[in-house]
Amino acid sequence: MEVKLDKQYPLDVDAARAWALLTDLKATANCMPGAEITEQLSETSFKGGVKVKVGPAVAQFGGTVDVIEAVAAERKMVLRGKGADKGGSSASMDLTAIITADPANPAHCVLNGQAAVIVNGKFAQFGGRMMVQVSDMLLAQFVENFRQTALTLPAAEGSPAAAAQVAASGGDAAAPAAAPKAPVVAREINGLAIFWALVKSWFGGLLGKKA
Amino acid sequence: MNAPVQTAEARELALAGMGASRLRKEDARFIQGKGNYVDDIKMPGMLHMDIVRSPIAHGRIVKINKEAALAIPGVHAVLTADDLKPLKLHWMPTLAGDVAAVLADEKVHFQMQEVAIVIADDRYIAADAVEAVEIEYEELPVVLDPYAALQPGAPVIREDLAGKTEGAHGKRDHHNHIFTWDAGDKSAADAAFDKAEVTVSQHMYYPRVHPCPLETCGCVASFDPIKGDLTTFITSQAPHVVRTVVSMLSGIPESKVRIVSPDIGGGFGNKVGIYPGYVCAIVASIVLGRPVKWVEDRIENISSTAFARDYHMDGELAATADGKITGLRVNVVADHGAFDACADPTKFPAGMFHIVSGSYDIPAAHASVKGVYTNKAPGGVAYRCSFRVTEAVYLIERMVDVLAQKLGMDKAEIRAKNFVKKEQFPYTSAFGFEYDSGDYQTALDKVLEAVDYKGLRAEQAAKRADPNSPTLMGIGLVTFTEVVGAGPSKICDILGVGMFDSCEIRIHPTGSAIARMGTITQGQGHQTTYAQIIATELGIPSEVIQVEEGDTSTAPYGLGTYGSRSTPVAGAAIALAARKIHAKARKIAAHMLEVNENDLDWEVDRFKVKGDDSKFKTMADVAWQAYHQPPDGLEPGLEAVHYYDPPNFTFPFGIYLCVVDIDRATGETKIRRFYALDDCGTRINPMIIDGQIHGGLTEGFAVAMGQQMPFDAQGNLLGNTLMDYFLPTFVETPHWETDHTVTPSPHHPLGAKGVAESPHVGSIPTFTSAVVDAFSHLGVTHLDMPHNAFRTWKALREHGAAL
Repeated sequence: MEVKLDKQYPLDVDAARAWALLTDLKATANCMPGAEITEQLSETSFKGGVKVKVGPAVAQFGGTVDVIEAVAAERKMVLRGKGADKGGSSASMDLTAIITADPANPAHCVLNGQAAVIVNGKFAQFGGRMMVQVSDMLLAQFVENFRQTALTLPAAEGSPAAAAQVAASGGDAAAPAAAPKAPVVAREINGLAIFWALVKSWFGGLLGKKA
Repeated sequence: MNAPVQTAEARELALAGMGASRLRKEDARFIQGKGNYVDDIKMPGMLHMDIVRSPIAHGRIVKINKEAALAIPGVHAVLTADDLKPLKLHWMPTLAGDVAAVLADEKVHFQMQEVAIVIADDRYIAADAVEAVEIEYEELPVVLDPYAALQPGAPVIREDLAGKTEGAHGKRDHHNHIFTWDAGDKSAADAAFDKAEVTVSQHMYYPRVHPCPLETCGCVASFDPIKGDLTTFITSQAPHVVRTVVSMLSGIPESKVRIVSPDIGGGFGNKVGIYPGYVCAIVASIVLGRPVKWVEDRIENISSTAFARDYHMDGELAATADGKITGLRVNVVADHGAFDACADPTKFPAGMFHIVSGSYDIPAAHASVKGVYTNKAPGGVAYRCSFRVTEAVYLIERMVDVLAQKLGMDKAEIRAKNFVKKEQFPYTSAFGFEYDSGDYQTALDKVLEAVDYKGLRAEQAAKRADPNSPTLMGIGLVTFTEVVGAGPSKICDILGVGMFDSCEIRIHPTGSAIARMGTITQGQGHQTTYAQIIATELGIPSEVIQVEEGDTSTAPYGLGTYGSRSTPVAGAAIALAARKIHAKARKIAAHMLEVNENDLDWEVDRFKVKGDDSKFKTMADVAWQAYHQPPDGLEPGLEAVHYYDPPNFTFPFGIYLCVVDIDRATGETKIRRFYALDDCGTRINPMIIDGQIHGGLTEGFAVAMGQQMPFDAQGNLLGNTLMDYFLPTFVETPHWETDHTVTPSPHHPLGAKGVAESPHVGSIPTFTSAVVDAFSHLGVTHLDMPHNAFRTWKALREHGAAL
């Protein structure tokens, strides 16, 4: 079962910080609900896992993530992930992520993601009909976590973002990004939230057709 | 002799013999939940087996790590192909002359293929341990389309066959090619097309479906290490064949192997094959010296045990301008999955597909079937049909409709014009079948009148004239001929064993009887109907006749129940065994009445002295004499065994008509009326025939309207649960009207032809005929199954008929 995703997420984070977070694969992985990098195998290769829980069904994928390409000039990162679940599912993903600056607002950027996800086994058989919706939900949570984490990174000095941080910290220019608050990121996928989103999108779809 | 004298009619009625709608003997235990199925069997010390299956459709096994599974308390063993290798049991022969992996040997060929087994104290521990077996795969490119599989550069599915250019059925010309099988006369068919005034052609796909019996497959294997004998309770439609195969595979003498098919919860072809699960459970029991139970779950059943159909068919008809068919050509690409495990008679790799000339007198015909390997589960069984007859009937019935449409002729008229006529029987078809008997026209007339065919066509014309009609109305008509009762052992065998069947009857001293058979009922009601045959033949009330089947240690050898062969083959064996007993009984009665045998008349239940009604001996009297004081020169006892090798197949037929109303807004198809007339020759139990027809029609409805096994590009089967796979309940099932004519088979001792599969074979093209008929005024000649609402709605949109 293959799902192709092509998404653009506008973020209220400047491109520099978003790129900084993206290149820190461990930190980025932490933004993915249920995901974790457990071991660095080489400069570009990591070992990790993802736990997906939808209702009573739990899939725990273990596998590797490889950085195929990282082009700082283009703020482009190409990753390949591969994993398998002991319960008889396997998955692979080719992901290209590009951060583009928002020309109208230097404090904002757009996270572009193109992914081809292939899922095999039980997960494809059972979850096939929900793959797109579940992927959408996962990505939405990922992006929110990513945004929050990126916002806690210190902004480059003199950047509009830095000025905003100063303003936010009550004008104390001496301690611009001294104590970024620990981000509150959702670490587990919330099965109920996914279900609710699915219901909404189904009914939304139905109403949309009628309209 | 002081009892009131009963008339012969009253005594006949009391026997509840042939022709009586006797209530099913089986139902008392089933409706009370007291059946004894494989999963009901519990043995002391019994262990449980579960199977580790491949999540991918094609790949190499890099590494299997059993340690974590073996560490789980309660796990006794984890076995892989490497463990079976020393026993030479990692591969096994299939019924089609191929081999199949018992456990994947270095490679997996389809999703859900068996890779390892786990034996544990209970089913739950086994299931947990299955998840703990770590397997690393290297994925290989997947081929699912049989046409793509035949391309020069297509991935090699069966590396084990490398270099083998000769298969079980002739030359292989490509690494994914299994066989090409031809029937009929190609040059004669080509000549008919060269001269034809009109030709039509149509491509159609008969989707891969699954018989999906209510009870899944399983077994309990119990090897006794002291005695060295093996007993296996198994969900098999052919227990004797299983015994032979198990003996051949294991080396245990056949005399020490006992195979028992207990109550079977539906088979429909799914329980003909020998599955890896059975072999593994038997091996595990031999290795561990304890009984081992394996029962698959629903997902395993649909995903890995035998599927049916998956035929990509091209049909062509040649005809005169006034609609007389002069030639037929058929080309089929058959998707057999990763191993050729079709259950067909050995010499017929496409089964009886060459019945494809149908009920029509077609002078020249040719069919070619090409079997292909793909990365799907093996199978190719007859799903409630004789071997590949459903596919054949579907093709010819669709083609006749397509021709009628091209010529602007009525469906009924073109059929009548091309029927094999009553006086042509026995009729030899262009493919060489000798049709035993038939009277198609009488049956067709009966149906057309019963449904007021002309009125229906007028109603349809009125609906078509109304642009605001909320529905499209369609009328489907099929006039099919089946070929069942395989079969004559000079042409039909399975693994070298001729396809005869057998019966042993013993009359007890007090006049009751037991009959044992080589067949096995899976819902057909053999315990009821077989007794009725004996009741009529021997004059013993069917209530006191016990019928036993399925235990190879007591029943005579038989090839089992599938392909509607029980009545045509075993039913004949019963009649002939009974007639042997009858001949001996006559001698005894003559001795008792002190007359010559020739001076006796047989009447219902007794031998009478000609001309003197008061001098008679009933069969019960004779039985007592046979054990008490047989005449000089006669052996005591009253029993017989008969092995019946049929001289020919039987050819039941039917005329089915269906009226549908398709909702132009939703694509929902309502079956307004379904009229099924069946002619199965002599009728043994009309109530059971009706029940069989209802069941077959319902399964036909399931196939035509909803069943399919969709695969995604990676070979994931996306329809292997009952959430996706359509099993109609009484909510969806339409009302069935049944009718019959009786044209006995001249070569069968009872004239009976078999019936259980006709309704499945005949109804499926009837639904398609009706749905396509609803679209025919828009120029549509064919729509592939399943005719579910979504697909029909898409067709409505495509042809501008949607509201």
